Amino acid sequence: MVRGSEILSKTGISKTLVEIMVCPLSKQPLRFCQKSNSLISDAIGVSYPIVDGIPHLVPHDGKMIDSDTATVPNDSVDSSDSKKDS
Amino acid sequence: MLRKGGALLLRRPFCSSSDGFSGPSQSKVKIFDRNLKRKQRDRAAWLMSPKDTLVDTVAENILDRLEDCKKTFPTALCFGGSSGAIRRLLRGRGAIEKLIMMDTSYDMLKSCQATKYDDSIETSYIVGDEEFLPIKESSVDLVISCLGLHWTNDLPGAMIQSRLALKPDGLFLAAIMGGETLKELRIACTIAQMEREGGISPRVSPLAQVRDAGNLLTRAGFTLPGVDMDEYTVRYKSALDLIEHLRAMGETNALVQRHKILKRETALATAAVYESMFAAEDGTIPATYQIIYMTGWREHSSQQQPKRRGSATVSFQDLQKQFGSNTSSH
Repeated sequence: MVRGSEILSKTGISKTLVEIMVCPLSKQPLRFCQKSNSLISDAIGVSYPIVDGIPHLVPHDGKMIDSDTATVPNDSVDSSDSKKDS
Repeated sequence: MLRKGGALLLRRPFCSSSDGFSGPSQSKVKIFDRNLKRKQRDRAAWLMSPKDTLVDTVAENILDRLEDCKKTFPTALCFGGSSGAIRRLLRGRGAIEKLIMMDTSYDMLKSCQATKYDDSIETSYIVGDEEFLPIKESSVDLVISCLGLHWTNDLPGAMIQSRLALKPDGLFLAAIMGGETLKELRIACTIAQMEREGGISPRVSPLAQVRDAGNLLTRAGFTLPGVDMDEYTVRYKSALDLIEHLRAMGETNALVQRHKILKRETALATAAVYESMFAAEDGTIPATYQIIYMTGWREHSSQQQPKRRGSATVSFQDLQKQFGSNTSSH
């Protein structure tokens, strides 16, 4: 788990936001992945991009994480239905 | 689906799940195309004028309510339609120290970020959807939504998630467009379409009625709910100016059932009908905007509670004796 201060320095996201951001679908805390510059929700295996210091925490922008590194874009999400088949 | 003695009974959900997310989505009716709304807001970010009378009036009205409370709101979340106007007109009300601006449109946020503000409020930006709120429970003191929630598919769900994001004794302030909004446009569109195309497609969104707003607040679990309504009439030089204004506010049609083609004839006919039916003597046309303001609080032990049934110590008869029998009794 990357500490809040590390996220702050690397992406420009404010401390306030880091403390209250959660995954929009699972409401679980997010983890910052430096390599892909995105926020990962481990609970459901989705990564949300950070563009220019602004995190895009919308289901539409989330990408399913496929095993290790390859990510598959998830355009079919228009509601949370596809994520709820667990 | 339940099977009962050979017949299939459809399990009918009566309300969506209270925490807004977990469990299968039960009554997910798609009225609005949220992706299209996002793109429209991207465009509005470019078309927006820095000073829009209608939007500014609504924002001022909402922010005035902050001065009515003794409470201060160090952390605030602001999302939806005119969050730019809220940010601009804040002027220290509510003693907000940290503000989080949320919008589905990245361009809107960028234009907010680019504007210079006089105050020193720490502002953070996040792209998020009201229906899938990416905010931790009990983390903000204040949630403001100015003219945004009337584009959600699941308004109760969005309000429930807003309530959960609030700390106990946190305030929820929202302004949405009400049912009377753009009634002249609705009428003109219907008449013109019937004449030209022989049928009608929805042009104006279904909007909440004032009587529903109170129910929405209680259903979302807010305590001490308050609803009030204001009607504004804006005058435009022509029907096309009205449409331009709607585009600049990001309030254009995003209904899933919308007819994607608008014939030039129909458009001109609509403008003509509008002008002939509603024009004033000076040639300007009015458009009604009915704004419903909703306030609600997250429950807290310090708030007044109704007393337990049967705990009354004074009867109505005593009250009547006290205040005199010459007053009519209802």
